[in-house]
Amino acid sequence: MTAHPSTVETTRPPFWRDLRVLRAFAQVAAVAGAIFLFRWILGNVTTNLESVGIRTDFGFLNGPAGFQVANSDFEPAQPVSDVILVGVRNTFALAILGIPLLTIFGVLVGVARLSPNWLVSKAATTYVETLRNIPPLLVILFTNALILLLPRIQEAATPFGWFVISNRSISVPWIANGSGAGTYWMVLAGTLLGAVGIWVWRTRRSDASGEPHHRVLWSGLFFIGVAVVAYLLLDDPIALSRPELEGLVVTGGFLTLANYVTVLIALSLYTASHVAEIVRGSIQAVAKGQVEAANALALGSFQRLRFVILPQAFRIALPPIINQYLNFVKNTSLALAIGYAEVTTIVFQVIGNGNPAPQSIVLLMAVYLTFSLVISLIVNYVNRRIQYVVN
Amino acid sequence: MTKRLLMLAVVLAMVAAACGGEVAEETTTTTAADGGGQVATGGLLAEVQARGVLNCGVNNAVPGFGFVDSAGEFSGFDIDFCKAIAAAVFGDAGKVEYKPLTAQQRFTALQSGEIDVLIRNTTWTATRDGSEGATFLTTTFYDGQGMMVRSDSGFTEIEDMANTTICVLSGTTTELNLSDRFDASGTPFEPLSFDDNDLLRESFISGQCDGWTSDKSQLAGVRSTFPDSEGGPEALTILEETFSKEPLGPLVRDGDTQWADVVNWVVLATIQAEEFGITQGNVGNYSGDDTTIQKFLGQEILDSDGNPTTFDPGLGLATDFVVDVISAVGNYGEIYDRNVGPDTPLGLERGDNAQWRNGGLLYAPPYR
Repeated sequence: MTAHPSTVETTRPPFWRDLRVLRAFAQVAAVAGAIFLFRWILGNVTTNLESVGIRTDFGFLNGPAGFQVANSDFEPAQPVSDVILVGVRNTFALAILGIPLLTIFGVLVGVARLSPNWLVSKAATTYVETLRNIPPLLVILFTNALILLLPRIQEAATPFGWFVISNRSISVPWIANGSGAGTYWMVLAGTLLGAVGIWVWRTRRSDASGEPHHRVLWSGLFFIGVAVVAYLLLDDPIALSRPELEGLVVTGGFLTLANYVTVLIALSLYTASHVAEIVRGSIQAVAKGQVEAANALALGSFQRLRFVILPQAFRIALPPIINQYLNFVKNTSLALAIGYAEVTTIVFQVIGNGNPAPQSIVLLMAVYLTFSLVISLIVNYVNRRIQYVVN
Repeated sequence: MTKRLLMLAVVLAMVAAACGGEVAEETTTTTAADGGGQVATGGLLAEVQARGVLNCGVNNAVPGFGFVDSAGEFSGFDIDFCKAIAAAVFGDAGKVEYKPLTAQQRFTALQSGEIDVLIRNTTWTATRDGSEGATFLTTTFYDGQGMMVRSDSGFTEIEDMANTTICVLSGTTTELNLSDRFDASGTPFEPLSFDDNDLLRESFISGQCDGWTSDKSQLAGVRSTFPDSEGGPEALTILEETFSKEPLGPLVRDGDTQWADVVNWVVLATIQAEEFGITQGNVGNYSGDDTTIQKFLGQEILDSDGNPTTFDPGLGLATDFVVDVISAVGNYGEIYDRNVGPDTPLGLERGDNAQWRNGGLLYAPPYR
């Protein structure tokens, strides 16, 4: 049978029954509807707010904030936009430490759940099943109650003289810059680049010749060697500063607020319980043949995990783990309850002090959207790098 | 394929532009009309009467002012004014739905129409009056900000409190005054802001903060219920200094003058009743012949032609609403004494909240 082109043309249905036209039309209608709805809501809100005399622009961002923020140099006379940035910084402080913490802990617990050791696996299961089934706000409030039990600042604990711990703040030793610190940090940055170069070189050489790469040893020794020599040459550019309690003030070291520690611990533990489940599932999703093959090669149980199972499980686990990272960042807004000045707390304070709520909330949403998109971007990049390449 | 997508995009853009333009105009006109209807004079009073219940935004964590007791009942100074308004509008003080709100939620709740009136120890300030879409009415309580510390801390004035951590409710005038006060004397401090009085209290008890700043009346309330396990009220001291003016009173949404008048005159009626010596006990059987009081109570009087009539100021309420209000909650003095007065755990003297004849600031315009 050969089709006649002319007949094909004439048998096309009229456009109101043409599926392709209808589909396109439906999409146009949907988008137009969404835009209509959005414009309608926006118009409504604006008109109603203006009718009761509430401003609808973003000019309030330039006005003075009027309040102070704990553990920051923020002055009440600085504008509202600055205080929101302080909040963003505090949220970032939670994310930057919390995400690595919850990852490490989640992986450990996930692996432990599959341990042949009865006690280890039951302990991990109990942990996961308890924390996973409690609302994160409760976890935070519970942790807060525990942290409040720490000694008051007047009788703060100072273990080994290296820490100052009270229910107000927790201080740890930190690096203090001396003279020549700038040069030293630059040298260290250069050395780090060099160490990475050595790492790559050793890996390539090993890939080419098959000899052991010892890349950790090589680059590690190089880095430490240069660091020590430069330290001696520059005559103590940096020093360790111990925190010390003077009256109500802690000097030296690095101070973190107790409510920061509360949120960090509570949310890391909570989110880690979800990550642990993902890790466990991913390990079990690795084909059984892989384990058997590893056994056939006489790999030990650690080698089997490190070189065969975890690399494959990691590929499966990464996309769902991104969600947990995003959840972590979004849940930091619960710090509002215990007064840690992350961005939600700050924005609500801003609203409470006579600034318009709708615009402030839009800003807040934009902040979380940015956080989420940046995290997704980074992890998706890693994900693309480690996926199987199918030719 | 690409061409078709391009076409689609162009069509979409055109449709969107067309719709967008049209919609914008349409919504502006329709919503303006809607908004106009909503805020028109008389709207809310009729709406509340039709609904049969008053939505009153209150506090639930300040003893003496707005507090939920162990039986789950709301009680306090602010709560009594909610009851007074309900008594005036419905003749029944029980027809109130209490909406507990945090300091941060309160203005949004009022703006959005979730509540009809906000009586939640809210300080009257120019910014709030001007940009929160709210109208502040007669002040029910003249307050001032203070600082509460532990009695054994040795602090006697703000200047002693260098490098301390101060607990404060966020989104309050208190929070702003705190910065102003400490900055004025160059005393460094760290704020610790909570949006909830209960968690703030926990933090204060644990010693996480050295001071608790708030309106002095609130501090007195908190102090009166300080747990005995922590030493009871005696373990706390409220510093002498008052470092701000905090006039507290009811608020309504901007734009509805009739409703504002109703709320305002309910408050003023309690003040006027005290001045007249009318109490919960005698309001029902006033038999004197003072026409000013007879008018106030909506009793029958004779007009210039000798015909019986009742005085109606035109507030949209029953002519004898004052009787309903006073028999439900009593006059201002009774409300004060019952909730926060010298014989209550708060033990607050009348001070600025006395009648103008007694050197206070309470002054009701004539009811005529």
